[in-house]
Amino acid sequence: MANHRVGETGLTDSGPSNHHRHIPYAALHGMNVPTSFIHQEGSAFDFGELEEAIVLQGLKIRNDEAKAPLFTPSRPAATLEMFPSWPMRFQQTPRGISRSGGESTDSGSAVNTLSSKTEHQIEPESPNSKKASSSDHQAFDQKPLQHQQHLQQQQQHQQQQPEMASDSSRTGTSQNQSPGKPPQEKRRGSTSEKQLDAKTLRRLAQNREAARKSRLRKKAYVQQLESSRIKLTQLEQDLQRARSQGLFLGGCAGAVGNISSGAAIFDMEYSRWLEDDQRHMSELRSGIHAHLCDSDLRIIVDSYISHYDEIFQLKAMAAKSDVFHLITGMWTTPAERCFLWMGGFRPSELIKMLISQLDPLTEQQVMGICSLQHSSQQAEEALTQGLEQLQQSLIDTVAGGPVVDGMQQMAVALGKLANLEGFVRQADNLRHQTLHQLPRILTVRQAARCFIVIGEYYGRLRTLSSLWASRPRETLISDDHSCQTTTDLQMVQASQNHFSNF
Amino acid sequence: MHCQTGSWGSYMPTSRNTVGDPLERIERLASENAVVIFSISSCCMCHAIKRLFCGMGVNPTVYELDEDPRGKDMEKALMRLLGTSPAVPVVFIGGKLVGAMDRVMASHINGTLVPLLKEAGALWL
Repeated sequence: MANHRVGETGLTDSGPSNHHRHIPYAALHGMNVPTSFIHQEGSAFDFGELEEAIVLQGLKIRNDEAKAPLFTPSRPAATLEMFPSWPMRFQQTPRGISRSGGESTDSGSAVNTLSSKTEHQIEPESPNSKKASSSDHQAFDQKPLQHQQHLQQQQQHQQQQPEMASDSSRTGTSQNQSPGKPPQEKRRGSTSEKQLDAKTLRRLAQNREAARKSRLRKKAYVQQLESSRIKLTQLEQDLQRARSQGLFLGGCAGAVGNISSGAAIFDMEYSRWLEDDQRHMSELRSGIHAHLCDSDLRIIVDSYISHYDEIFQLKAMAAKSDVFHLITGMWTTPAERCFLWMGGFRPSELIKMLISQLDPLTEQQVMGICSLQHSSQQAEEALTQGLEQLQQSLIDTVAGGPVVDGMQQMAVALGKLANLEGFVRQADNLRHQTLHQLPRILTVRQAARCFIVIGEYYGRLRTLSSLWASRPRETLISDDHSCQTTTDLQMVQASQNHFSNF
Repeated sequence: MHCQTGSWGSYMPTSRNTVGDPLERIERLASENAVVIFSISSCCMCHAIKRLFCGMGVNPTVYELDEDPRGKDMEKALMRLLGTSPAVPVVFIGGKLVGAMDRVMASHINGTLVPLLKEAGALWL
């Protein structure tokens, strides 16, 4: 009814012609519709509460009919109330209903009293009468139309009187905000705040609050989903990285995308080799601590050397199938990759590290180790320069001459690229020879310690890599760097078992 | 003794003996100098081995087989001699076959290369 327009929505009495898609029938027919409902989309329509509304409306109507029957008993108004723009919680029933008894019972005021007496939180469910129509409720579709006509008739017949009656009823229930009775036409379009009593205002405010909270909840949920999605992709990346580094033992043959079968096989073999390495290392350690005689210790040292022979054989095979996997160091961990030279460790760097760790050495041994370092450096330099020439030649081929012949160019480039395998093989050969030369310079006991040092050194680099990879990501976002330090420290303390007791 | 970045040692003209067993020729050429390397000018590993000897202060005699009219035959003979391909680079020291890159490097690491060079007179401390 006109007298109960909700001015905030800016609705006119044009009814269905207004452009809000989700205007419920209640709003269309001038019911009290909180703003929030108009703008909400697609929330569930609670039919349970609809039924409750029907029942209670029936109750209310019976009460009203006893007082001032202005409506026909067919009660299409009841159906209109069933498309609540608010799910009504009728916990206070008879008292509330009877309070409105004094009012005129045109549909507008009836609705108004119903809603005004509900003082509880009203959930902002969008009635969306158009959307909510289903076969079960088709009956309702027709009745509101009837009711619309009915209303319009009523509006014409009962222009002033219902308004006055509702005004008077309102004075009975709450403070009257507008003493005057402006003409209906004016009231229709303008903000009729005078028409809204405190209870209505409160209800509207509650509805708005509920709608706002619901929006906030939805926003929080969406944000949570987004951050979970980001975490998931990061976890997947970490997993892929860890797999390609062989940290997952034996579980990744060709399973990870973008890795060739040769590379996958090598990664698997390498992870198995790392397990063997641990075993050999513990044998060496126990051999030293048990003070085995030299000949027994020599057996253990020799078996460790052949353990290294194994990895170089594996690398030679891998170089044939996928030299780039070796050269890019994707078979190692990131920290090891930092120091990568031609698909592996740099022998002269390793020897430099060993010199400081292998004290005490005789003068002859020191000379031997230094000369080994020196020759290794010369060989490394020679190989590096050879590789540089290969790179330059490749650049010239790929860049092409004045006449670019695509296929020919590619064929030549492919031929040159094949030379990479030779360089990686020679570099591995250098590493292999260096490791063989060490026990020739050192005593058996020194050699055992030397291999333990080497094994532990690379083990620590691998641990460093995994700690780095698993460091908490939140520290990247937060600007509290003290938090990061604490977390890293905790992580390090938690991984003490990675460090041997040598 | 310095290493020239341009020409590699001396280039021996081969007009003297156009007919003959390539292997014989190889052995003859190898015995004429302290350090003899058979190479191919475009080969990068050959470049590496040359840089290795130069880095040690040795001035090797280099024969580029792709610039020799009988180079192809010699390459085949070297392949048979070594048992592996590629045939180059291959190093002779004091007329005796040392081998390809891997053998040369292994002998350098295990400390036998320098005495060999000294013995052949290619290196003075």
